[in-house]
Amino acid sequence: MSTYESPIREALIKGEDTNYSKITDDIVRNTEGTPPMAWMIAFALASATALFGVFCLFYTVWKGIGVWGLNKTVDWAWDITNFVWWIGIGHAGTLISAVLLLFRQKWRTGINRAAEAMTIFAVICAGLFPIFHMGRVWMAFFIFPYPNTRGPLWVNFNSPLLWDVFAISTYFTVSLLFWYSGLMPDFATIRDRAKTARRKMIYNILSFGWVGTAKQWQRFESLSLVLAGLSTPLVLSVHTIVSFDFATSVVPGWHTTIFPPYFVAGAIFSGFAMVQTLMLITRKIFNLQNYITTAHLESMNKVIVLTGSIVGVAYITELVIAWYSGYLYEQYAFYNRALGPYKWAYISMMTCNVISPQVFWFKKIRRSVFYSFLLSIFVNIGMWFERFVIIVTSLHRDFLPSSWNYFTPTWVDAGLYVGTIGIFFTLFLLFARTFPVIAIAEVKSIFSSSAETAKSKMSDPQDFSDVHSHSHDSGHGAHAAVHHDKNFNEQ
Amino acid sequence: MKETKYWKGLPGTEDQIANQTDNNEFGEITPELSGITESISTTANTGRRDFLKMLGFSVTAATIAASCKMPVKKSIPYVFKPEEIIPGMANYYSSAYVNGGDFVSVLVKTREGRPILAEGNKMSTITQGGMHAQAVASVLNLYSLGRFQKPMIDGKASTWKAVDTKVSTELAAISGAGGRIVILTGTIISPTTKKAIADFKTKYPTAEHIQYDAISYSGLLDANQKTFGLRAIPNYRFDAASLILSFGADFMGTWISPVEFAADYIKNRKVSPEVTTMSRHIQVESMTTLTGSNADKKIPVKPSDEVNAVINVYNAIATKAGQATVVNSGFSNKDLDAVAEELWAARGKSLVVSGSNNTDVQCLINGINNMLGNYGTTILWDRPSYQKQGDDKAVASLVANMGSVKAILMAECNPVYSLADGAKFGEALGKTLSIYFGERKNETADKSKVVAATNHYLENWGDAEPKAGIIATQQPTISRLFDTRSYQESLLVWAGINTPYDEYMRANWDSTIMPMQTKYNTSLLLWDNTIHDGEIICNAPVLTITPNFADMAACATSAKNSIASRGAIELKLYEKVGIGNGSNTDNPWLLELPDPLTKCTWENYLVTGVSDEKFFHNPDHKEFKIAQVTVGSKSFKLPVYCLPGVPAGMFAVAYGFGRTVSANKEFQYGVNVYNLLKENTLNVKVELTNEVAPLGCTQIHHLLTHKGLGGYKTRHIIKETTLDAYKKDQASENVIGEHSRKDWIKEELVTLYPGHTYPGHHWKMVIDLNSCIGCAACVVACTAENNVSVVGRDQVIRAREMHWLRIDKYYTGDQNNPQVTFQPMLCQHCDNAPCENVCPVAATNHSTEGINQMAYNRCIGTRYCANNCPYKVRRFNWYDYADADSFDKKYYTENFENIKELKGLDTIGMQEPLTRMLINPDVTVRSRGVIEKCSMCAQRVQAGKLEAKRAGEVLKDGAIRTACQNACPTNAIQFGDYNNKESVVAKLVDHDERIFGVIEEIHTLPNVLYMTKVRNKQKIDDFSFPENLLFS
Repeated sequence: MSTYESPIREALIKGEDTNYSKITDDIVRNTEGTPPMAWMIAFALASATALFGVFCLFYTVWKGIGVWGLNKTVDWAWDITNFVWWIGIGHAGTLISAVLLLFRQKWRTGINRAAEAMTIFAVICAGLFPIFHMGRVWMAFFIFPYPNTRGPLWVNFNSPLLWDVFAISTYFTVSLLFWYSGLMPDFATIRDRAKTARRKMIYNILSFGWVGTAKQWQRFESLSLVLAGLSTPLVLSVHTIVSFDFATSVVPGWHTTIFPPYFVAGAIFSGFAMVQTLMLITRKIFNLQNYITTAHLESMNKVIVLTGSIVGVAYITELVIAWYSGYLYEQYAFYNRALGPYKWAYISMMTCNVISPQVFWFKKIRRSVFYSFLLSIFVNIGMWFERFVIIVTSLHRDFLPSSWNYFTPTWVDAGLYVGTIGIFFTLFLLFARTFPVIAIAEVKSIFSSSAETAKSKMSDPQDFSDVHSHSHDSGHGAHAAVHHDKNFNEQ
Repeated sequence: MKETKYWKGLPGTEDQIANQTDNNEFGEITPELSGITESISTTANTGRRDFLKMLGFSVTAATIAASCKMPVKKSIPYVFKPEEIIPGMANYYSSAYVNGGDFVSVLVKTREGRPILAEGNKMSTITQGGMHAQAVASVLNLYSLGRFQKPMIDGKASTWKAVDTKVSTELAAISGAGGRIVILTGTIISPTTKKAIADFKTKYPTAEHIQYDAISYSGLLDANQKTFGLRAIPNYRFDAASLILSFGADFMGTWISPVEFAADYIKNRKVSPEVTTMSRHIQVESMTTLTGSNADKKIPVKPSDEVNAVINVYNAIATKAGQATVVNSGFSNKDLDAVAEELWAARGKSLVVSGSNNTDVQCLINGINNMLGNYGTTILWDRPSYQKQGDDKAVASLVANMGSVKAILMAECNPVYSLADGAKFGEALGKTLSIYFGERKNETADKSKVVAATNHYLENWGDAEPKAGIIATQQPTISRLFDTRSYQESLLVWAGINTPYDEYMRANWDSTIMPMQTKYNTSLLLWDNTIHDGEIICNAPVLTITPNFADMAACATSAKNSIASRGAIELKLYEKVGIGNGSNTDNPWLLELPDPLTKCTWENYLVTGVSDEKFFHNPDHKEFKIAQVTVGSKSFKLPVYCLPGVPAGMFAVAYGFGRTVSANKEFQYGVNVYNLLKENTLNVKVELTNEVAPLGCTQIHHLLTHKGLGGYKTRHIIKETTLDAYKKDQASENVIGEHSRKDWIKEELVTLYPGHTYPGHHWKMVIDLNSCIGCAACVVACTAENNVSVVGRDQVIRAREMHWLRIDKYYTGDQNNPQVTFQPMLCQHCDNAPCENVCPVAATNHSTEGINQMAYNRCIGTRYCANNCPYKVRRFNWYDYADADSFDKKYYTENFENIKELKGLDTIGMQEPLTRMLINPDVTVRSRGVIEKCSMCAQRVQAGKLEAKRAGEVLKDGAIRTACQNACPTNAIQFGDYNNKESVVAKLVDHDERIFGVIEEIHTLPNVLYMTKVRNKQKIDDFSFPENLLFS
């Protein structure tokens, strides 16, 4: 991967004194010694919230779905909103690791590990909702087409909910494999640095006994490519299928052909925003500014403004189509969405998703840590509202005005949502503490071409040729990386 | 011809090979395949494998049989099985629901000896098979937790012996000393009860019988006394009238005999290609009533102006009739003048009624009917109604002189609750020998010294004479659940007559009823047949009527004076359909029944019109503003509900709520307004407070301000037309978009996909919107038949009521005087059902008979089906409403008694073993977390099919009737097999031009179809077609 790169292109690994050894040090250091105070506070907060979420789950199962604010008209609200929100967030990980890998985007190396971890954790959080929104969660296994003694009783393959089951479980499995296989060489790096026998043993097991032979690297690379190839269609399919939950129904406001692309764009949008949020926190807590640079922020902000604009176009398209359709129910659904009792949600959605990311057209803001963080939060909020608007405003006033109703959440609804955020951050903080948050091997693979130190040498012709030839002969970037890695480990 | 065998190789060789191959293919021919008789019993050629199989089986079977613990079954079989009881088969017995004067002839469905449902008795000439909500719900009272299980003395459980001794001695002492004894009852329509009371009076000569109706009809009775010399209610013939004018009489909801009147009324309102005439109905009223909502024309007036309107109409008619006019009311209403014109044109076939309890107003009404010549045509004196007999004067004098009453016996009334000064009356009960004949806990029983626990009517023998000479019977359908005794029997015991009441009744029938009838020759035939049919028509009594309309002028002056004290704001006290006078306000079915007009449950509220925006509630949050009402010296606070059609300057509150003593605190919401009866309700003060309160309304008003931007004109939910338009074009207004429905089906209803096939039956239901009056009897019947859960006020506020069938209400036109359409809405059993394809586990699916069915034990509760149902008829069990959960409720209640949050849901006693005796064993009780909905009474369909199969007949049309259909007093619902082209439903669906489906344009292909509502409008009524569907 470390092909030639123009010296004027912005460096992706900062720091005057960065070298291979320091990269390992900077990243692995976070898994060693006592965690920083900020981490401890964050973990305490996150795990407390997670525990509350678990209690809310328990409470829901104990008492019944009635503890939520749902009613006879609005049978899904925060549950499915949260589900789609989390699934959307989970999109960025795969997109970064798979699609950007295939497109040879070097900047992905700084963030892909965390983004993939985020995907895994987001999908875990997302998966909780479709499971626990079931009235009889103890019968959840009915949704699997398993051989049974009930005669011809089988699942209904016409139901988008069943497609969801397959889409999400596939996505989760592939993402997990992708993430884990990428972790193996890095686990080996940690193992090699480990000072205690126990630590050595644990990381050895985690690394599946990785030793970094050429054959292992070759297989590793092949696996990465295969998984990237598998994941890429999943990026599109998962959210497409999630959108089918709505698009294949008859509910005005749901029954729309625009949903698949619109949902995928929205998912990438929200996923990148969440990656942005997480990376900004991580780089701060673990002092990783050299690896997660403003260049990374800018790249992600570019994706955010692009997908945000796509989403905005989708919103407007929906309105235009509703008008053009001449179909009363559709027209009313959108009229009601924008001007009905939930207009505050619609306004929040529009402001956060369509208007606020437009400031990213300004380079200064794109590169500002503060604005990036602020807007990533905005987008997260906006995308939650988008799902809420789609689900609740469409349901609460559909065909028969006699059944129109209003949905108000309860503390359990809120508790579950906040609780999953707690679960998510608990998992993420644990990950950040025990796993290398940045893919060491992958970052090293771009060191020779994209590091500030390497670039500074490029200005000196001698050094440049040295670096260049060094990487040039390593048929594949990761070879070079492991080569150095091994070297530095030995040092 | 001789058969020649051809061969093409060495003979036999190929055959042999082929045979051998066959044998190899199928191996050893097992006994199962070859027929067990041949291989085993004839040849006894048991192979090795068979031997091993049998050995294996017998050892295993013996092991299982010997080692497994057999479950202990606690059911006790009949030692002598009653001949008529077959487990699993329902038995039906005729009976009569009698509550005060309220009478409905019923057919009681019993299963394994338990009454579980009351349906209309089709053999009754009075209620004609119809039901009202209270009658259907009366079965639940049998299993009420509020029932007295033993007689009580001074609030402590006692025995009948102790009660009899105490009461007999004390009564004898009082009577001996000449002390006044009063028997205070509701209207008694039972001839035998009256005889028992007479016998009691013979024993205790100082006893007097006073009848008391909580909602008094004294004014009407006194007016008839005055103008006809007979204190009774005439026989109103709503079926004979071509023009009905009602001044606030809710004759299809609450007035006198609503089921009978509704059934009669609708006879003249059904239109078909053959019959294109219908009666016209004009309602002048203050508070919107169910009846008024069905009127072709409604004239909203303030309560005091109801009186003025009567005077106006009287004067207008008198002028035309050339009779003396009475005092000028000073009230003018253009519409009323037109009404008088119409009335005069329809003289002799019109009918004027009033809901007023003012004698003078009722006299004027009689005068109007008399001038119109309606007596003898639409109002008959052949068989007067005895359903209301209460006497306000006698009651007033009793209440005033309670001090002189030494003993009071009370039955079928609740005076402590329903008297204007009930509290004072309650105190007085403590100072005298007060005996209350009570079935369930209430305020009067609470204050009485002796509670003689009575039977529920389904445990009782009894008779009833709702109309002169038409006598209905009650028979016990279950033996007494508790240590109770009918009050008639108690009276007899205390009167020293020790005949059981059934024998006493039988003897009374022999002596009095037998000679009154000519149908049966022997008393045995009379008895047996009447008990079976539920009714006997005896000879009409000979009555002397002496019409006297002399002092109409005085009546008018006096009527006008009665409203002289009116102020700017008036208050109307009214009865809610389903709740009535409050005697059933401890019945959860009725409490949770949405009122047909307001769709509110569980409580009362202050109703006002929609002219003053400051009273409007927030439609989305169900937050209603609370107002403080001051009426004379009394004052109360209630949330305000704005009901379109109620005139400005008035408020209305329903009777029946604010009970203080009943089985459950949940039954006691609202305010008791009986104490306002003596106040001047025509001048009240209403002030908004800053408080808000939620109301359990199942349908909230929404202004449909958005009418679409050039698309379809309207939501195709209801369709209505006028009689004139219908006469010209039977498909009038039956349009979808730009097309008539017929063309639309031909041109637009196309699909690429194959539909379902229905090789056997194809069930369809047709609901005639023109016949539906919105009385909601069907809703309660559905609840009863299908074990639909009661969820309680809190859950209704959270919009989680479970009703499978609801009545939607839509308005069109002027907000201050809208047209109302009621639409029963239930699962539409779509042939192209949106719910079916979204269920991931196929728990909801389509039967081969067109029924959209639910497999409850397959449902995992994703609720996607409910979201995708365009009709929103699917109901989710948010909690364990029915105590049918996989988790034992006992575990929750016993272990978490003190932790409210972790305890199971309080379901108003509906989960108790006693109440659960009511559960229909044919219908699964749904557990928490599953979706449920109308099954089109799948259990009845199945039973009907089996019955036909057993009888070896083709299923007849009409043999299967759904619960809602059976309860309907107006026959608005038809159910049948569409594949049987001779069925009523098939003929309607194929040939009637009024047929339509709700929102058909989304291609759900519903199997429940509706028929256009036809209004008998005249030009002046300013009819607006429902493209202006304003709000629902």
